[in-house]
Amino acid sequence: MAHLVIGPLTRIFGHASLRVEAEEGISPRVRFSAFGYRGFEMMARGVHVDNLPPLVSRICGPDSLFHQAAACLVVEKALGVEVPPAARSMRELALWAQFFERHAVSLFVHGLPDLLFPSSDPGLRNLVSIYRVDEEVVRRLLSLKSLGTAVLRETGGPTVHGVNFRPGGVVRDLPVESRERLADRLRSGESLLLETARLVKLLLRRSEETVRRAGSIGGSFLAGHDPGGMGITGGSPALFTPGTEVVEPRPVEDLGERLREEPSTSGHVVYAGLEGTEGLTVGPLARVNVNGRYGTPRADEELSELKETWGFPVRYPMVAHALRMLEMLHAWERMLELLREPFRGTLGETLNPAAGKAGVYIEAPEGGLVYGVELGEKGLVEELSIVSPLQFNLRNLEKSLAEAFASVEKEGQERVSDVLHMVVRAYSPCVPCGVH
Amino acid sequence: MDIALLSLSSCLGCQMVFLSLEEYLYELIGGNRVVYAPFLMDKKELHHADLALVEGTVRNTEHFLKAREIREKADRVVALGTCSCFGGVQGLADLYPESRLLRSRFGDTAFEGGPQGVRRLLPLDSFIRVDAYLPGCPPVPALLEGFLRSAVSGDRLSREGATVCAECKVTSPPLPQPGPRRLTEGSGEPGKCLLDSGFFCLGPLTRDGCGALCPSGMGVPCRGCRGPSGRVLERKGADVEGETVRRLARATGKKEEEIRAEVPDPAHTYYFFCLAEPLLRKRRSGGTSPYLHRLGE
Repeated sequence: MAHLVIGPLTRIFGHASLRVEAEEGISPRVRFSAFGYRGFEMMARGVHVDNLPPLVSRICGPDSLFHQAAACLVVEKALGVEVPPAARSMRELALWAQFFERHAVSLFVHGLPDLLFPSSDPGLRNLVSIYRVDEEVVRRLLSLKSLGTAVLRETGGPTVHGVNFRPGGVVRDLPVESRERLADRLRSGESLLLETARLVKLLLRRSEETVRRAGSIGGSFLAGHDPGGMGITGGSPALFTPGTEVVEPRPVEDLGERLREEPSTSGHVVYAGLEGTEGLTVGPLARVNVNGRYGTPRADEELSELKETWGFPVRYPMVAHALRMLEMLHAWERMLELLREPFRGTLGETLNPAAGKAGVYIEAPEGGLVYGVELGEKGLVEELSIVSPLQFNLRNLEKSLAEAFASVEKEGQERVSDVLHMVVRAYSPCVPCGVH
Repeated sequence: MDIALLSLSSCLGCQMVFLSLEEYLYELIGGNRVVYAPFLMDKKELHHADLALVEGTVRNTEHFLKAREIREKADRVVALGTCSCFGGVQGLADLYPESRLLRSRFGDTAFEGGPQGVRRLLPLDSFIRVDAYLPGCPPVPALLEGFLRSAVSGDRLSREGATVCAECKVTSPPLPQPGPRRLTEGSGEPGKCLLDSGFFCLGPLTRDGCGALCPSGMGVPCRGCRGPSGRVLERKGADVEGETVRRLARATGKKEEEIRAEVPDPAHTYYFFCLAEPLLRKRRSGGTSPYLHRLGE
C-alpha cells in the first residue's frame, strides 16, 4: 500500500495534514489528520456562567462570537431566560459581521488565489505575492473584509473576542450615530461586493473541470431551518436528503438523542453524525439546500443564477466558494436592515443561579455548532459538550478528497497536492474548532 | 526584512488581527518579504527569517519541534499574543493532566502516529529563547502596528508599560457598592470604575496598551488579557487574587472572606490568561530581570 503524506496544509484555518492510502485495485482513502486537542470542555467544568462566553471564545478567533453566542443561548435555555429583543438584534448584528469577515478570509485569503491563478506556482498563489504585481486587487478584497471588521469593532470592542455578549443579553447598545456611520460604510462597499460576487461566479465557471474533479457530495444536509435568517441566532435544524424532496425538521432535543461521536484514529477531530443518517454535510451547501433561499433580495437574485449554472440541490463542494460570496451578500443586507432598527429598550435580563440542562444548535460560518450544558444547583457549569462543524463534515471531506485523489493520482505528486489542497479549502475546515 | 508568521496551538486570533492592520499591512508586505506564513501562503518550509512572529502555545512534540526550528532559522523570535507570552486561556487546561484530558475526549483510542503531548502547558519561552513579547488576546491592531514598526526598523522596543487603569477613563462611584458582582447580574453605571462598582475587574494588575477598550469603551470588566503588569511580575509570586479580593472588600464594604466565598472558580476569575505563567507560581528559573527587560515591548 502506498502512503503519501500531504502537509502541513496551507491557506487554511489551523494545522492539519492529509494521509493518502492507495493500493492497486482498491479505492483510495484519504485521512484528514489534525492533532492538538485543547480540552475546553474540561476547562469549563466548575465555571461561573459569566466566565463561560469568554472562555469558549478562545476556541477560535475567526468564529469567536459564534462560540460565545452558543454558550449564552445554552445557559439561557437551561435557566429558562428570555433575552430581550434589543439584545437579540445586537447579537445578530455582531454575528453577521463575523460571518461576513470569516467568509471574506476563507474566500479571499484561502480559496480565491487558486481560482484566480490555477496554473501558476502554488507558492505564488497568495495575497502577498498578488500584492507585488497588482496592489489594487488585494486592497479591494481586503477592503471588503474590513466592512465586517468595522461592524465588529463598533458592536463588540475588540474585533476578535468581542466582549459585548453575556448570558442574559448584551452589555451595550449601539448609539444612533454609530449605526448611521456603519450603514454608510457598508453602503460604500455595495458595488465592490456585487462586482466581486460576479468575479467569483465567473472564476468558478472557468474552473469547471476542477469543480467536477473535486467530486460531488452524497448523503443528507443538516442546517438551521430558517429561511431569511439562516439560523445564526439559534433554532432548530432540519435535514434534507436529495431525492426525497422533504425538508425534515429535527428538534434540538431529538438531535441530541441521535447525535453520535466517534474518534478518528488519525487525529483529534472526532467524527460526528446522526444515527440513521448517511454522510451528513453542514455549512453553506447545507444551508442553501435546506432553505432553498436566503430571504434577502440581492442574495436571492444571485442564487437563482447559481442554481441555473450548478443545479439544485447544490452538490459540488467547490461551489461553496460561490455560496460563501452569496452569504456575504446576505449578511451585508441583514446588517443594513438591523442597523436601521430603532432602539428597543432593555439590553439584558438578570440571571439567577439554578440547576438546569439544555442543548442548542446554531449556524456558524461553516455549519452547525451544537452546545450542551448541565448547570449545578449554584448555577455553575458541571458539564459542557461541543460539536463543531468540521466534526460533521469530516467524513464527507475525506470522501471528497479520496474522489479527487482518484481523478488526479496519475498526474504526479505536485498536481495531487494542489488539487487536494483546493478540495480542503472548498470545505474551509476550522481546525481550532475541531480540536477544541 | 524577511518575516515569518506562524501559529502553534492557538485560536488564530492574532493572525486575524494581522489581516486587520489595514494601511500598515500594505506597507509591511510591500516593503518586506513575508517568507513563511502557512495561514496566508503555500510555503512548506522556512529557510531563514529576520523576524519570526509566533502565536500560540506548545501543546505537543510537533509544536515543540516547529518552535525549535523557528528559533534556529530566525534571527529574532517574537512571542505574539498572550498564549505565547503567558500560556493564555489554553493554559487553564493545566488544571488537568494531559492524559486525563485526552481520555475524557477520546477514551482508549489508539492513534496512528501523531505527536506526544507535553507534560505542562507553559509559555513559549519555557521551550525556546524569545527575543521580544507582545501580549494581548489578541493585541489590538494599533498595538501590533506599533510593535511591528519598531521591530522592522530595528529600534529597541522600549515601552515601559503601566496598567489598564492608567488608560481607563472612568470616575469612582460613592462607596460602598453592591457586590462582588458579575455582568450576569446586570451592567455597571456607565463611566464609573467597574472595580469600585463591585465587579471583578483586573485592570489594576494588567498590563496596559489596549486603551482600556473593555472597561472604558464597553463597560466590561478587564479579565487581564494583556497578562500581568510589570509590577505584578516583578514581585515574584505576586498575589493577583489577594489584591483583587482586597480591593473588592474595600469597594463593597464586605470582609475578604465573604468576597472569596463568592468565587467558586478562582482560576478562571483571577488567572484566566496566565495560569500557565511560571512567575505566578514562583517557577521561572533565572529570576525575573532578563524576562522583564525583554517584556519591554
